Amino acid sequence: MTAAYHAPMDGIGWAASAMNAARTRLDVAAENLANGSTDGFRKSDVRGFLSLRGVAMRRVRSNEQGPLRRTGRPYDLAIAGSGTFRVRDGAGHVTATRDGAFTRDRFNRLVDDAGRVLLGTRGPICVPDGASIGSDGTISRNGIALNRVALPRGSTVCSGFLEGSNVDAIGEMIDLLTAQRSFEEAQKVLSAIDQTRERANTQVAQMK
Amino acid sequence: MNKALYAAASGMAAQQQELEIISENLSNADVAGFKGAAATFSDIAGPGGSLGTAQIGTHTVFTQGKLMRSGGPFDLAIDGSGFFAVNDEHGNRAYTRDGEFSRAADGTLRNAQGWRLEGVRIPGDALSATVSQDGSVVIKTAKGTATCGRIRLAEFAAPEFLQSAGGTLFFATHASGKPRLIDPGSANGPAVKFGMLERSNVTIIEAMMEILTAQRAYEANAKGVQAADEMMRIADNLSRG
Repeated sequence: MTAAYHAPMDGIGWAASAMNAARTRLDVAAENLANGSTDGFRKSDVRGFLSLRGVAMRRVRSNEQGPLRRTGRPYDLAIAGSGTFRVRDGAGHVTATRDGAFTRDRFNRLVDDAGRVLLGTRGPICVPDGASIGSDGTISRNGIALNRVALPRGSTVCSGFLEGSNVDAIGEMIDLLTAQRSFEEAQKVLSAIDQTRERANTQVAQMK
Repeated sequence: MNKALYAAASGMAAQQQELEIISENLSNADVAGFKGAAATFSDIAGPGGSLGTAQIGTHTVFTQGKLMRSGGPFDLAIDGSGFFAVNDEHGNRAYTRDGEFSRAADGTLRNAQGWRLEGVRIPGDALSATVSQDGSVVIKTAKGTATCGRIRLAEFAAPEFLQSAGGTLFFATHASGKPRLIDPGSANGPAVKFGMLERSNVTIIEAMMEILTAQRAYEANAKGVQAADEMMRIADNLSRG
């Protein structure tokens, strides 16, 4: 064999990388399935590719729109399009979320079930009595804009709706099966290589 | 695979909690003035992905229930926001949207649990009584008609933060704010409907649909546990060949 054909990895390495890749696929499918009822959840997709260390997996967050569900509560907000809600917890940490299940507290602020306050372009968003939330995210009363949910151009806010998780359960079930089968296949290959080597070792030993 | 196992298990636990809430809603679907609850779930962020899901809280859904005509002599319903303020014999005050009252021997209007509606006492010589849209109680006696008291409604800055006292009763909390008593019947405000009841805002069809969804999601997560288990078995077989 010439040096040009020298592979950096042997068969066992390849099979092991395939098993690892299958495990990642399973982990991600299980994570996605677990969040099938998490409003505003964004699923992860895994993409397999070849690298110098064998088969590798790259995780990509899907930005597909989740289904909008009507709830009839005025402070349930859903974003149609891109963008996120910015919420601030008691410790001052700001996080971005697509989950728009808010309730109005006694200071007229919109808070989620974890107690985090929704932020707009002018600080915490307050919705006093008689104010409305427009589809462009503007909170206004009597025609005067009070605050605005910062959103990219073209995105709209739907009041009275929630965005469900964008996880497709059927796709994830297929991924589960795929992961399981490719794991099994890689294990068979690994065992076969192992047996061949074992035979080589024992036969070489017998010849002596 | 352990990660997948725990993520799938957290999904099963979440669906279990979801089912509990739906069944609680469903069992009260026929209770007048009952308000359903909804849970919020969030993913558990871990390094480089999510570790599964967890419930971060629940909230009561205070959307209006449908009003229906009923046969009770003192059935009341609120069309709009607000609550009836009721008291028990110890002076505790609770708030409810359940307007199924009946006249007690002392002339007060009481609900099934014995809580007394604030602001009304019907005199013994009253032959009949009606409640008008603005909450005033009009009685008919042998001498003619007279007004005896007015039902006022309690409004809260943040009703979602009321504490549920079981069934249709709620207690005020610090977070809900103090109750503000308002007179019903104004132009944009709530109105009191006499001879009607507000149905629960839980609809059976929706709840059944939610049960089906939760069940299927539970099964899907159980499959995730199975797949992780199966892969661990395969990994175990590595050393055996």
